Amino acid sequence: MRSLYLTLLKYKDHLLFLLAISLSLVFLLRNESPDIYLIRGKSSDLFSFINSPLAWVKNMTQLQKETELLREKNIQLSLQLESMLAAYEENNSLKDLLDYSRESSFELLAAKVINMGISSNISSITLDVGKKDGVTTNQPVLVPSGVIGKTLIVGESSTLVQCINDINYRLSVRIYPSATTGILRYLINDIYEIRELQKNAQINVGDKVVTSGYSKIYPENLPVGEVVEILDERGSFQKVARIKISPKISSILNAFIIVGISFDEK
Amino acid sequence: MKNNNLLFVTIGTLLFQILFVDFLTINLIRPDFLLIYVFYIAIIYGRVVAIVVAFSLGLLSDLFGVGSYFGLGPLTLSTTAYLSGFLYNKYERLLPYVFHCIWIGILLLHFYINTYFRFQTIFVSDILDFVSIWLTSFSYTMIFFLIMQYFYPMKEASRAKIN
Repeated sequence: MRSLYLTLLKYKDHLLFLLAISLSLVFLLRNESPDIYLIRGKSSDLFSFINSPLAWVKNMTQLQKETELLREKNIQLSLQLESMLAAYEENNSLKDLLDYSRESSFELLAAKVINMGISSNISSITLDVGKKDGVTTNQPVLVPSGVIGKTLIVGESSTLVQCINDINYRLSVRIYPSATTGILRYLINDIYEIRELQKNAQINVGDKVVTSGYSKIYPENLPVGEVVEILDERGSFQKVARIKISPKISSILNAFIIVGISFDEK
Repeated sequence: MKNNNLLFVTIGTLLFQILFVDFLTINLIRPDFLLIYVFYIAIIYGRVVAIVVAFSLGLLSDLFGVGSYFGLGPLTLSTTAYLSGFLYNKYERLLPYVFHCIWIGILLLHFYINTYFRFQTIFVSDILDFVSIWLTSFSYTMIFFLIMQYFYPMKEASRAKIN
């Protein structure tokens, strides 16, 4: 017994390392476990509370820059509005002609980014809204320029968002005008790859990419990005498109969660 | 007393990472001060303390927010702590270039594991891009590591317990 104890003591560093590695692997393999989600949800609330003063300072320091950007955007939007109003009228009259029955609108919940994690690569953000605001898991998160992720873990007053640049993130998308669908995943920097596209699909650089609506999480036609490269290998049965997304994940200050979709009967 | 100091410095490092990491983000890549800290702890206090500190910091870092691969932080930091523990009290016993090659190798391995988990698709599709991300992440943290060398050289750190 004593010799066993002495052996354990002698190799305590190796044993401790084995224990640390085993525990880490257990966490890694049980990533989707409800227990792990519960712990992460609770800790997210706690860390958000700790981080909130810093988030406030960060918001204040970037406020002036954001105001300038918003002014610029406001002018651009005012100019766009004129042409959009005409298109809206035209669209309404065409809908009347087609007897179009339903139109959807999203119930959006505005949220502030309070934390972007501390690991060496950003793959998640924490928002300052939670269960008490009606947030649940698997709700789409977006900014005006496009989709940025989905809610992953929801605490009482904070929500951890799995960003679009997470390695395990997949999104069903449609490329317009060809209406081809494929699966989007992160590649590098702000470049993403759409796989499983039909070989004969007519896709060009500059085509718009939106959500397909096939997903249970994302409604259709949410903006995603723009095609920048098409890879069409001879030996492959499918095409691959590379797209660039507009939102800069590392500089997002505010985001919106789609907490519900309402349908207006026409 | 020594344990209290270690605890305070560990909490301080964690706070430093929390406070400054967002301001130092370039192209989604951030410096890893926790890694630098764990390495120093390993050469000052040895393997056992380093593994405990590394595991705790890794876990806290992941609890602070990570999309998927919860557990990767403790895994990589504990591995780094374990390997860096080999350099405990070895500064004078090893040839300088061997010592420096070993610690650079350990840091490279840390970033390799991290990058591999997070960019598996690029590893498969374009190995050059993968290597570029790996070396960029490594180099960015290395800049801060070298700055740290100016204030607290490794030579001094490895003797800290002897003196």
